[in-house]
Amino acid sequence: MSPANNPSRLHNPWRFIAFALVSAIVVVAFGLGFLLLPRYQGTHAPSSEKDSMYHALGFHTHANASSTIQPPLKIPTYIAWTDTTIRQAANGDPKRGEVIAQDCTACHGEKGLSTQAWIPSLAGLDPLVLYKQLDDFRSGTRLSAPMSAIAQSLTAQQYADLAAYFSSLPGLPESSGERPPRPDSSYRNRDPVQRLIYAGDPKRGIAACASCHGPGGYRIGAPALTKQNELYIDQQLHAFAQGTRANDMNMPMRTISAMLTESEMRALAQAYANEKRQQP
Amino acid sequence: MERNKLLPLAHLWAAFLCFFPAVGLGVWQMLMRSPLPAPVDDPNLYYSSVTAHGSIMAYVFPTFFAMGFGYAIAVSALGRPLHGEKWAWAGFFLAVIGTVMALVPVAAGRSSVLYTFYPPLIGSPWYYLGVALVIIGSYFWIALMLVNFRAWKRENPGKPVPLAMFAITACALLWGWTALGATSEVLFQILPVTLGWRHTIDAGLARTLFSITLHAIVYFWLIPAYIAYYTLMPQAAGGRLYSDTMGRVTFVLFLVFSIPVGLHHLFMDPEHGAGFKFVQSVLTFMVALPTLLTVFTITASLEIAGRARGGKGLFGWIRALPWDEPMVLAVGLSLLLLGPGGFGGLINMSFAMNAMIHNTSWVTAHFHLIFGGAVVIVYFAIAYELMPRLIGRPLVSKRLACLQLWIWFWGILITTIPWHIAGLMGQPRRYAIFDYSDPVAAKMAPLVILSVMGGLVVLSSVLLFFYVLLRTSFAPVAESMLPIRYALSVNPPATVPPLLNGFAFWNVILLALVLIAYGYPIGQFFFLHNQNAPAYSLTQEVTK
Repeated sequence: MSPANNPSRLHNPWRFIAFALVSAIVVVAFGLGFLLLPRYQGTHAPSSEKDSMYHALGFHTHANASSTIQPPLKIPTYIAWTDTTIRQAANGDPKRGEVIAQDCTACHGEKGLSTQAWIPSLAGLDPLVLYKQLDDFRSGTRLSAPMSAIAQSLTAQQYADLAAYFSSLPGLPESSGERPPRPDSSYRNRDPVQRLIYAGDPKRGIAACASCHGPGGYRIGAPALTKQNELYIDQQLHAFAQGTRANDMNMPMRTISAMLTESEMRALAQAYANEKRQQP
Repeated sequence: MERNKLLPLAHLWAAFLCFFPAVGLGVWQMLMRSPLPAPVDDPNLYYSSVTAHGSIMAYVFPTFFAMGFGYAIAVSALGRPLHGEKWAWAGFFLAVIGTVMALVPVAAGRSSVLYTFYPPLIGSPWYYLGVALVIIGSYFWIALMLVNFRAWKRENPGKPVPLAMFAITACALLWGWTALGATSEVLFQILPVTLGWRHTIDAGLARTLFSITLHAIVYFWLIPAYIAYYTLMPQAAGGRLYSDTMGRVTFVLFLVFSIPVGLHHLFMDPEHGAGFKFVQSVLTFMVALPTLLTVFTITASLEIAGRARGGKGLFGWIRALPWDEPMVLAVGLSLLLLGPGGFGGLINMSFAMNAMIHNTSWVTAHFHLIFGGAVVIVYFAIAYELMPRLIGRPLVSKRLACLQLWIWFWGILITTIPWHIAGLMGQPRRYAIFDYSDPVAAKMAPLVILSVMGGLVVLSSVLLFFYVLLRTSFAPVAESMLPIRYALSVNPPATVPPLLNGFAFWNVILLALVLIAYGYPIGQFFFLHNQNAPAYSLTQEVTK
């Protein structure tokens, strides 16, 4: 059989052409992307072939970073939400926590419900929240004379035990975190305080309180505020605004509180303190 | 009813029954974002609604549609009963169960993660398992398309596989490969966290895996529409397909180039270097090729039909075309909308221009224009073509059907053009509510209101679509119905090169390309562990 009559032979050049075309496209794309373009990337142009390859692969080399003058570090907290930390904080033993919590009742009340307006209730708070605050009191990134002393006398495991105990108590905040759909939680709400809680105020760059503190939205490490003591919330907002409390990672609370007016802080504290608990 | 007709019919009805409420949700979402009052204006509900709308429109609706259309093609184009019908039903019921399983937790507000999942955001495991079941159901379909494709080739050695079957098999293969990205993201990244085994997600790896699915899924939606372009429209217009080979080349190019391009969805992500973003950007431009080929071939086919019907002169053939045929009208309107949609896509895939529109409403407007304008409009026409034949009753009114397509066309234009402009003005996407008393947002308000009006027009078109379908379903049974016929090409191929009659070679090329384009971008995460982020749930405290 002659090559022309053999269909598979006949189509062989096409197989080769298709393969060559695709390969050519790939080679050209890599040549441009890895060798040529990195050399012409404005202020970030790498100096050598090796640097340009690194850049194209995504390793960003900052050659002079160590020689520039660095401002002194201000560390808001020593907690980072790594897998290890979350495991440690979430795996406490509530039984042991209950024993340690005997020492908390004088200020934080029976069953974690504080009767003194400037002291927070702890019942039902997320364990990660409690764990982080205890660690911040220990490291001094959050200031309070009695709490620092207490936190320094406890171990990390005991923080987790306490957190497990308090979070298990029937608490102030909604424990499930869910809420049924709630009309009027946008800018159309006429009540300025409800508007701040559910929609924020983008003109001033203020995010909605509820997107981190509930009801309905939660961010890791942010406490639920529903039914928290009014005076306590108000004082913390002032402390963040003044910078006397500065243990918020990425400073959302320092930023937002500084923009709130006195009356807004008071009204927000009041609104959260009196927020009706959602029926499960 | 014959059983082989019940199968595609069940799929098409499942597709459209999910589609209908999803359109309603979409309109409510537009109202939420607009200055007009919306019932129950609750931002949390907005995100649940976006999740349901997106999951249905991206996964459920097109998957059921492609499956149903695929089974119909396998029977009608190959002219033989479907191999493995039991498996097809099994896949169908899996997908139905998956749909319910995914949507219940969304409705309960427990999975407001949007259809793109957005790790480290997490929701109820039932949602992800449900989506996975829909995908698994579709894998039954992929397998059956391949089995039937092979069986026909075995029985007809040397003959060219009918173009419609060739194309739907390319579509199935494309979906089979590309769905692996999202599936592995769910299996290896998200499910271990939602089940409480891990607390952090490698956000970079998860996003990269999803990008494997995120772009090619668009071509999975698009190919059924292109099949109608190539094989149904020329027949309905009374002409012939300009080139059968061009069709085969188009579908092969889609299969090869639509997967190794997903990094262009991650241009702004820091976890990848500029080099691979550039390489995939170049490959993305290659995906424009099959669409350009298609625009050329289909316009040529329309011209052939127009001239065959007596159209004269440079543009006279356009007037001579039967615009009162739903299939011809839908393809014409779809081609028109494919223009602005496609050029918008070229902007999104260009690194520097993408930077201007990244995360703005431009992007949402773009994919609504492409999906609604170029794809779904043809799905309607396919339904008008197929469903009457499946139930043996004639379409009640071609006039109403054409009216519905026109309303949809204008609705999509009125919805998406102001939406694009608002995006260019900087309106962010994924925002539930805007404060229109803010001077910056106030300038967008008239555009957004116009867009909502477009949404209402789209909704009315969908209502008309259901009216026509339901009237048809209860119309008297026809004495005889012509079976569906696929267009002949001008030169019907007696033989085609083996390369354009099978996919083995292209699968190898595709895998090599994916390995080259994604090997390092994915591989890097196994030695750089710097992308781990604590997972969190939107509406629940973390540890509860």
